[in-house]
Amino acid sequence: MNSMNLILCAVAATALDLCTLILIITAYREKRSATKNWDWVANSMELAEQGMTYDLGCDEILIGRHASADIRLPDLSVSRYHAMLTVSNGRWTITDIGSKSGVFVNGNLVHEAVLHENDIIKLGNRRLVFRKRRDERVR
Amino acid sequence: MYANPVAYIFSCIFVLLAHSSMLVNIYFNGNYTDIKEVIVLGTAVLILDIVYFVVMLFFKQISYAVDFLLILILNMSVIFQSCFGGVGFNLKHYITCIAALVACKAGFLFCRNHKWIQEQKKLIYAAIGCLMVIILLFTGSRSMWINFSSFSIQPSEFIKPLFVLACATSVMDQQRRHKILFVNVVYENIALLGLTGAIVLLQWWCRDLGSLPTFMGIYACGFLLRICYPKAKFSKKKLIFAGALLLVVAVIGIRFAPEYVQHRLHVDIWNDKNGDGWQQAQALIGIANGGWFGVGPGKGYLHNIFAYDCDIVFSTICEEWGLLYGLMMVCVILIMIAIPLINPPRSYFHGTMSAGVCAAFVVQMALNIFGSCNLIPFTGVTIPFISTGGSSMVVSGLMIGMLMACQSPVFKEPKNKKKLKPVPAWRWTE
Repeated sequence: MNSMNLILCAVAATALDLCTLILIITAYREKRSATKNWDWVANSMELAEQGMTYDLGCDEILIGRHASADIRLPDLSVSRYHAMLTVSNGRWTITDIGSKSGVFVNGNLVHEAVLHENDIIKLGNRRLVFRKRRDERVR
Repeated sequence: MYANPVAYIFSCIFVLLAHSSMLVNIYFNGNYTDIKEVIVLGTAVLILDIVYFVVMLFFKQISYAVDFLLILILNMSVIFQSCFGGVGFNLKHYITCIAALVACKAGFLFCRNHKWIQEQKKLIYAAIGCLMVIILLFTGSRSMWINFSSFSIQPSEFIKPLFVLACATSVMDQQRRHKILFVNVVYENIALLGLTGAIVLLQWWCRDLGSLPTFMGIYACGFLLRICYPKAKFSKKKLIFAGALLLVVAVIGIRFAPEYVQHRLHVDIWNDKNGDGWQQAQALIGIANGGWFGVGPGKGYLHNIFAYDCDIVFSTICEEWGLLYGLMMVCVILIMIAIPLINPPRSYFHGTMSAGVCAAFVVQMALNIFGSCNLIPFTGVTIPFISTGGSSMVVSGLMIGMLMACQSPVFKEPKNKKKLKPVPAWRWTE
């Protein structure tokens, strides 16, 4: 193989490398757009407890006592898998998934309920507020 | 319109640059008799690039990275396939690449709304059943192809994306448990186990044992994600149980494998290099012959070996383009399926679907590449997007479309959603 061919092969390989690198950077840039889109879908909501906030980062949030729950409430009054938060059409819904102590939204026992801003959710002895996400600096 | 115009323009330029540099390499270094061959190939590749860059903007997506990687790898594949044994535009492969792009967009549109696709689960199971019946009726017990006049299709390939969809699940579905004796079970998990068993038996009957690890890989991923919720942590007990189960299945599979498979497991390719070890021995010699930078496009000799463009395509590419380029081609495919790690899906259904697609691609590539390098027995499985074959190409496109759907999902309730019966409020009220 002569030096010309070697250079051409190296150039082709370098171009492919560069292209791959640019596409990885593109994917990272698109992550920001995806986060923005999610904020729009999820209305930038969060669940808050005394001194604690839980980010709602995906469309199905499992709440319970079990270690594998997305929002873990280590309290014996909360079932292992207590309730599920789901989002569609920009609205969050809470569903009781067979808990022992039930799900209360603003004091009413519900099986499934659409949540609105500042609703109080009671799961066992734990009270959570469904509210707009607050900026760290504001807090 | 795309939210990142700068990224779009740069991505377009660099994809064109990567293909152009390959074409320049062919022009100066390739084995061709007529310059027209190179011009036709170059024109076809660049036109497909530009047309796809325009077409993809008509699809409202959040992320286009997978699209760029797909067109990059597909046109690389067209260039590779057109150079084997002398430069000449491979029209058939070009058409299958276009079919893969169409299938990709169809897969994207089909899987965008995971709530809708979840409602079609019964139809998905029915479609897999229909394909299995077609295989039983039309392929015969030692074949996996249905031959029409001028072309043939492999129906078992089309089961793969449907099986990925069947394996995908949502957290809510996994919470619908029913008590049977003392165990809480999810009916869908039992149905999936039954379906997997049926597919394994069918593949065994067809002697399509090369595809078995792909199905098992998809199922293993789906099974693990069903029994563990990885958002918190994997259960060690469950992982050990799953690993032990896999080991037992592998041992039983090897013990009762047909005679020709047993032979392949123990064949010494260098002692039998003119017999059963012929293809693998030649593939390894080809890789060694190519070295890091290859002998030049169209200048290899592996095109004289049977299945040079599908089963041992990795070796053929390494011989003509070099090991470095071959490994980079593998990296591009791996990066394409690893995009969900950069931008993770926001729904568990899409997450499990991505995992299934990744499992299928990784297993297929591993079987082909390791088989070519004599690290495992030869299986005859194709490398997605690189090997020839219409069925494989269309199905790979469809699965990448599913991956795109995970990147740009829609969170909308289907219009005709069935209302669940309200549970009586038997509990006390506050």
